[in-house]
Amino acid sequence: MKLSTRKLIASIGAATLLSTLAVAVMPAANAAAPTCSTVADVEICNGTLTNGAAYTFRMPSKFGGTMFFWEHGFRTTYPVPGVAAVPKGIEEITPGNQTTGKDITKEMLKAGYAVAAYDGTVKGMRGWNNTFRVEMLKEVIDEAMAKYTTKIQRKVVYGSSQAGSIITPFVEKYPTYADSVGILAGLTPSPADSIQSACDIFYLLSVFADPTIKGCAAFGTKGVPGHMASVAELGKAGALLKTWSANYGEPGLEFPAAIKPLGIPQRSALLLTGLLTGVPTKSAHMDGISTSTLVAEGSINSTVAILENMGDALGTGTLAGQSMSEITGAGFYDNTKTDWAALLSDEDSGRYNLGLSGDDAIAAMLGVLAAAPRVTGNADAIAKFKALDKSSFTSKHPTILLSNEADRLVFPGNSSRYVDRKREVYEKELAAWEVFKKGPKPRWNTLALYAMTPEIYTKYLPTGAPDLTAAPAASGVGHQTFTTKQMKTWVDMLAVAAKSGKVPTASYVEYIATKVPYLNGDIDYRPGDLKYNFGY
Amino acid sequence: MKNRASLSRSPRRFLATTGAVLAGALALTALPAQGASTPGVSDTEIVLGMQLPQSGGASPGYNKVDDAMRAYFDYVNSKGGVHGRKISLVAYDDEYKAGKTVSTASRLITKDKVFAMVGSVGTQTHLAVIRDINRRGIPDLFVNSGYSGFYTDPKKYPTTFGGLGTYVVEAKILGKHIKENMSDKKLGILYQTDDFGRNTVAGLTTAGVTFERGKTAATFIAGSQAVPGALDAQMKQLQDNKVEVVVIGATASAFASAVGSALKIGYRPQYVVISVGSDATTFQTILGARGTAPAVSAALLAGTISASHAPSPAEADDEFVKAFKKINDEFNKGPAAGKVWDNNVLQGMNIGYLTTAALLGTGKNLTRPGIIKYLETNGSKLSSAALAPLGYSAKTHEAYTGFWIGKYDAAAVLKPIDGTRKMWTTDSAKGPVTELKYTRPAIAADALPKVG
Repeated sequence: MKLSTRKLIASIGAATLLSTLAVAVMPAANAAAPTCSTVADVEICNGTLTNGAAYTFRMPSKFGGTMFFWEHGFRTTYPVPGVAAVPKGIEEITPGNQTTGKDITKEMLKAGYAVAAYDGTVKGMRGWNNTFRVEMLKEVIDEAMAKYTTKIQRKVVYGSSQAGSIITPFVEKYPTYADSVGILAGLTPSPADSIQSACDIFYLLSVFADPTIKGCAAFGTKGVPGHMASVAELGKAGALLKTWSANYGEPGLEFPAAIKPLGIPQRSALLLTGLLTGVPTKSAHMDGISTSTLVAEGSINSTVAILENMGDALGTGTLAGQSMSEITGAGFYDNTKTDWAALLSDEDSGRYNLGLSGDDAIAAMLGVLAAAPRVTGNADAIAKFKALDKSSFTSKHPTILLSNEADRLVFPGNSSRYVDRKREVYEKELAAWEVFKKGPKPRWNTLALYAMTPEIYTKYLPTGAPDLTAAPAASGVGHQTFTTKQMKTWVDMLAVAAKSGKVPTASYVEYIATKVPYLNGDIDYRPGDLKYNFGY
Repeated sequence: MKNRASLSRSPRRFLATTGAVLAGALALTALPAQGASTPGVSDTEIVLGMQLPQSGGASPGYNKVDDAMRAYFDYVNSKGGVHGRKISLVAYDDEYKAGKTVSTASRLITKDKVFAMVGSVGTQTHLAVIRDINRRGIPDLFVNSGYSGFYTDPKKYPTTFGGLGTYVVEAKILGKHIKENMSDKKLGILYQTDDFGRNTVAGLTTAGVTFERGKTAATFIAGSQAVPGALDAQMKQLQDNKVEVVVIGATASAFASAVGSALKIGYRPQYVVISVGSDATTFQTILGARGTAPAVSAALLAGTISASHAPSPAEADDEFVKAFKKINDEFNKGPAAGKVWDNNVLQGMNIGYLTTAALLGTGKNLTRPGIIKYLETNGSKLSSAALAPLGYSAKTHEAYTGFWIGKYDAAAVLKPIDGTRKMWTTDSAKGPVTELKYTRPAIAADALPKVG
């Protein structure tokens, strides 16, 4: 999903929404053999699935036997003017950098890989249509196998963002449809683990800054009215962030009334909100370290990072959350049992102490949260929410994940959560195998890679204010924003893994990291954990 | 760091390289995962890592600790090392910026492949990495922070061991002294509202010394003291409330700032300072940077009451001081100012000594779990320059369990407050403060630790 904080802050307003809420419903069609042509030694085939969604293949003349099947990320059914447009067909064929717009189709074809992609649209509806897309992906692969038959020796299923919660159940349901699996900046099922935190952001902002914000509690109405209601919530938060962007949240907290006399700056509540919800403390322009006359310490730098990240994090929560609510019904968000103090680690409380305005301010803010009225959800909706995209994590395919250290939309903790779940299943299987030692010994076959940020990259204006219009960090920030070398290395690893049946060794990853700038060679690296774990 | 450098090769050359690399990868995937060898340990070497502020506002004094440790290790190496292995110390400057501490820790772990972290300096900075170090099972030895939260629950941080007595223990002991000797004075406190300050207040409260917020208790947010005049209001508050004895639960930079603020308003209370806040070198260097002559800063420090677990570096007859000073003179390759003998050098030497003892005691078969088990089982028996025993066990990883109380003289030397040193001991919980009867084992003639 491509979002821009600046655009989000600048553009969201109920008035701008009214004119552009048409849904382009595509007619259903029967799948037919694709139409093909050859351009510059690459055969290009275009076709449609049985539900009318488009797909495409690219087959290089020097095909090496490995075909990649791309599962794209989240797309909206309805537009958010100036922020997110409704896609028009297939927009991604291979992994692409969402900041530069550059994908690696050319590089992959040159390497002899065939590529496939499709438009995950179900009769004009997008959003959280994962159940449909599991079957659509199968159909795409069936079509490719029908066309190229034995020419395809190995299949790699890979995708980004939302695709993480499509591909995971897909390979569990259709294990013969993939020889290796790649998840790029991906969401790990259950998506509720992530969306709950996005909803928490709305709630926390409502307590500290704008009591009119209802956030995820306003989600759940189907269709355009529901979309409009959710985007209106995003608009309120966007307006708040816009105000803070102008003054960095220096004025004292106004809400709730009890905390006002303490003079705690709003930015401390913003930082607390980010830390309680896991928003990355580095952003496109803020490295969490550099200081200036206005940004006195690393924790203040991180506060601005959270400010820069939060709009997009909320955008994800809004668009994905509203889409999920169309499945779960209203009331999927509930925080009646949330222990806010427990969500702030001792380590964060100490490290960011200055930005949080010290222990007394932390205690005061957590005290306010403990006493604030909670959001009570609907039991049925909550259960459905937590059960979305249920996966068993039993896939034996070599699986390689790649995430940015400071992904503001799909937090990198999703990758470590994926690894944890695979590890838990693997260890159970290994323990069972150890009893009789019959059959093949279970093999650990999952690898999480991370693109890291440079250490220092914040640029300051002569005034001491951070330059948020400067070029973003060269790596490690943004969502689905990787360098060409990082993406190409990832797909090369997937190709090798499809052939060998194994993920690369630690020593190989360490070696390759010396060749690919900012790729972390430490396979034991672990980003900040997601704040919730609703199980699988 | 190699992976943070940029590649200037053309995409075409990169593709060619990648192809070759991938061919290699096919072969590499058949190899077993990481071997069972212990990172940082070879037949000939043990690599240790450390993070500290070598530059920046928080560096004065602390930036001498690594060179002192390395000097002791070089001395050990000159005597054949530990079980035939030389000790190498890799130290990185984190400038006391937590974000940099994350980077330097990553470099030490993944590039330098250290066996253990040793003697890292700082509470707030260590908070940024302690969870990750522990998750990886890397020994995190003799941390130069007195924050009790690092050590009192080994289930939380199983690989972390202290290198100082805790702030709680020290505050309880100072609290007892205050209670018994200054209860006729009006007591106040200045503390930073973080783990350090919280530990100090907890210890004093346990000792029965309490304060009134907004009146006799003044607070500030750690880090904010760097701004000139940042503590003016706090010191004015204490003056207005007629506080005669000010306890400082804060870093040396804050203490220096507080003294400056007090002077401006003609306020000269009796200071009682947690030891890391009163380190003479740090205090005088900070004031020196603000244009205060050494003689003047020494005079400002004079009379300040503080505590220590070790002998004063000025105790020339102390056998550990004598031995360490000699090693420092011969082996410290740090900058001239850095090797000037003081409390920081003594502490660095002592941690080097303690580390050597732990490595020796763990044995030839050195492993990460092995050294942690050794310290939990035998650590309390290890001796060092300290005048109090170590508290290490499976239940707590607290270091020195006792302190003596002293007063700075005109030469900025901490001397026993009654002329005769008396050691006191307690725990980081609610236990009583009692007199410590501990006879420090003698240092061997070769100044190397001897372990059973």
